[in-house]
Amino acid sequence: MTRLLLVIGVTVLLGGLFLFGLLRGQPDRNIESARLDRSVPAFELPLYPRYQGAYGPTLDLADSLGTEPLIVNFWASWCGPCYQEAPDLQEAWRRHGERVLFVGVQTQDRGKRAEGRSFIDRFDLGFPNVIDDDSAISIDYGLFGVPETFFVRRDGTLMYKHTGPVDLELLEDKIAELTAS
Amino acid sequence: MTGLGLGPLGGAALLLALAFAAWGLIGGALGAIRRDARLLASARQAAVATFLAMTAAIAVMEIALLTDDFSVSYVAETSRIGSPLWVKVVTLWAALEGSLLLWGWLLSGYWALLASVAPNTPLRPWALAVMAGVQTFFVAVPALMAPPFQVVSPVPMDGPGPNPLLQNHWMMAVHPVLMYLGFVGLTVPFAYAMAALITRLPGSEWMAQTRRWTLIGWGFLTAAIIAGGWWSYEVLGWGGYWAWDPVENVSFMPWLTATAFIHSVQVQERRRMLKAWNLLLITLTFSLTLLGTFLTRSGVISSVHAFGDGPVGPAFLAFFLLVMAVSLGLVAWRWDQVRDRADLDHPVSREGSFLAGNVLFLAMTFAVLLGTLFPLIVEAVSGDKVTVGAPFFDQASLPLWMGVLFLMGVGPLLPWRRAPDQSLRVNLAWMSGAALAAAAVALALGMRGVYPLLTIALAAWNLASLTLLILGAVVPRVRVGTRSVAQVLRAYAFENRRRFGSMIVHFGVVVVALGILGSSGYRVDEQIRVDFGGSAEFQGFELTAVDRFMDQDENRISAGAIVDVTRNGRPIATLRPRINAFAGQQMTVPTPSVLYTPWYDIYLNLGSAVGPEQDFVVLRAVRSPLILWIWIGGAIMALGTAYALTPVRRTVPATRRATREESART
Repeated sequence: MTRLLLVIGVTVLLGGLFLFGLLRGQPDRNIESARLDRSVPAFELPLYPRYQGAYGPTLDLADSLGTEPLIVNFWASWCGPCYQEAPDLQEAWRRHGERVLFVGVQTQDRGKRAEGRSFIDRFDLGFPNVIDDDSAISIDYGLFGVPETFFVRRDGTLMYKHTGPVDLELLEDKIAELTAS
Repeated sequence: MTGLGLGPLGGAALLLALAFAAWGLIGGALGAIRRDARLLASARQAAVATFLAMTAAIAVMEIALLTDDFSVSYVAETSRIGSPLWVKVVTLWAALEGSLLLWGWLLSGYWALLASVAPNTPLRPWALAVMAGVQTFFVAVPALMAPPFQVVSPVPMDGPGPNPLLQNHWMMAVHPVLMYLGFVGLTVPFAYAMAALITRLPGSEWMAQTRRWTLIGWGFLTAAIIAGGWWSYEVLGWGGYWAWDPVENVSFMPWLTATAFIHSVQVQERRRMLKAWNLLLITLTFSLTLLGTFLTRSGVISSVHAFGDGPVGPAFLAFFLLVMAVSLGLVAWRWDQVRDRADLDHPVSREGSFLAGNVLFLAMTFAVLLGTLFPLIVEAVSGDKVTVGAPFFDQASLPLWMGVLFLMGVGPLLPWRRAPDQSLRVNLAWMSGAALAAAAVALALGMRGVYPLLTIALAAWNLASLTLLILGAVVPRVRVGTRSVAQVLRAYAFENRRRFGSMIVHFGVVVVALGILGSSGYRVDEQIRVDFGGSAEFQGFELTAVDRFMDQDENRISAGAIVDVTRNGRPIATLRPRINAFAGQQMTVPTPSVLYTPWYDIYLNLGSAVGPEQDFVVLRAVRSPLILWIWIGGAIMALGTAYALTPVRRTVPATRRATREESART
């Protein structure tokens, strides 16, 4: 009898544990950036001509870093998912560009000015896009591939990094989080 | 599509299989209770019918995959028109629903085979009924809970194709099938164990009936785990093969208990001991395969391996708990019959070493189970999120492995029952000498650290033991007869398949142990930036980034670097680490390129994407000594198992047959 009770006890205990696991929902599987909650590196890079009227020939991130929330998006003209996410980035910028600085960085795409320009024109991207010709910035940011998007708090620390294409829903969520703090 | 589509056809085949399996269970159990031969025969036919229906379902799915019939939900979700033929074939097990279908099919094959070939013993009816019960579950899940044959409307033009990590290496065609064959094979001894408990015949009969099946299951599981490690090495890009990830652990735990089981059954066969222990071990083994499936398919435990979730998780949990409760409950209920009455005569004996080995394997299972479940336990108790990393598993299992290697050398030399005699002392002296000599040589060559030196010493200890075992078998036979050493050895290997097979497997274990020692203890892992046209030094090699390259076919785009590996200006190899992007999938797959040599591998992976105009490449370079021997050792283990399984032909030489007939006449 004791043995039967032991069996029942073990079964119930294990069952309870796993039931808890099931009900708790999915654990977070996103691998976090090592830069999370740390300051992101500043950079100064040449701008595409269409933005030079508003920002000058180069964009110096140091001017904005630590004063306003930032979204830094890395892309390349040869990257398929970048084309997929670009309209959503443009729409998010149209809605929130006043409060959050959006910066596009063309990276791992040396010399592809014409392709970069046609990428920008295709989606009529209103936020400034810079050229990271020797891909130095992508190394500073620990980029694995494109696209990747970095959400930087007002104090210059990284709140969240997204690997792969972003969509409008995610952008809205993260922007709400960025501007709330 | 007009008329009857493949979807409804496959679904109907599955429902038919479910009905047959359920009849196998109900008819089989009723027949066993009433001892009704007609019902039992009908239940046996149900096994074959289930297998045929499952085969039809598999055939329908393969036809749908190969003809790109996207009206079938599984095809629409996981296949793609442009995929190569072999990818389409193996897409059957590239996602949850299809892999459960495959599992159910393989199980039905084992069940049908068992129903056809199992000798007519009192155990057979219940064993087949238990198989039917397990089969019913494994058909019900794909038939009712994770249906792969749903009709999709409107029919998509094309699908996304299977997960890129799975398309990226041919090993994916092999590893899952081996794993399921292993899991399914271990269902047979479990079914017989349950039958033994139900019929109150917990003697050695059920083991004699299932010895072969157990070895088959164990052999496949061993091959599957090694193949999984190789896949991970070739695909995941960090230059390792084992990360103590939950999904690896859950395949490792049943292997540990099954390994304990195939050793401890011999104690029961010889000494009528450890009855309850063996029943518990096989129950544990089978339950752990279910637990593993539950943990990896439900997302309960965080793992790098993302499987789909859904109603399958709770179903596996319920089945796991049912199996646990019923089988352990049966053991408890029949405790008076399974209790051991014999005692260990001498701790230093064959059975003593088996028992000690069992304790080590069980301790390891417990450590791995604890480490795997610990994050969940902590979260349930305190709400904190913790992770248990490789250091815990390494520290917990390494000393136990040393113990296993020690026993593996000494155990086969020990006699049954008796206290050891003089010849053992001589043998141990030889083995200790070999171990010390090996450790001394390693020390002189600059190896440091307790575990590396101990592993080397124990490898030598085991090689000496294997040599002594073979000498002990061959030398007396050579002395008495006129045959040459080679003839005697061949005859010995032929006549003692199980024993000789086990020696081959143990040799394979030593080879794997050395491979693990080299590749984990002496691995060098560096990130190197190389400009195209330039070169960098890595571990005595020059890595020259010659050029970037881009390959493109209908299904895949590869972009990477061509890297020449030279040593002192002498060319060694050209490696092409790359990043593969598969059509239909967003995820890109960094694909390493490996130079295999017996002494070390040079493993290059891209640290970042190589853009078309980028003038440098970031390489992750890994040098792993002896890693090749893990795969070779694994193959040796599988071959040894296969050798032990080859049937002994009872051909008796003519002269001996004549004398035997004479003696029979007198």
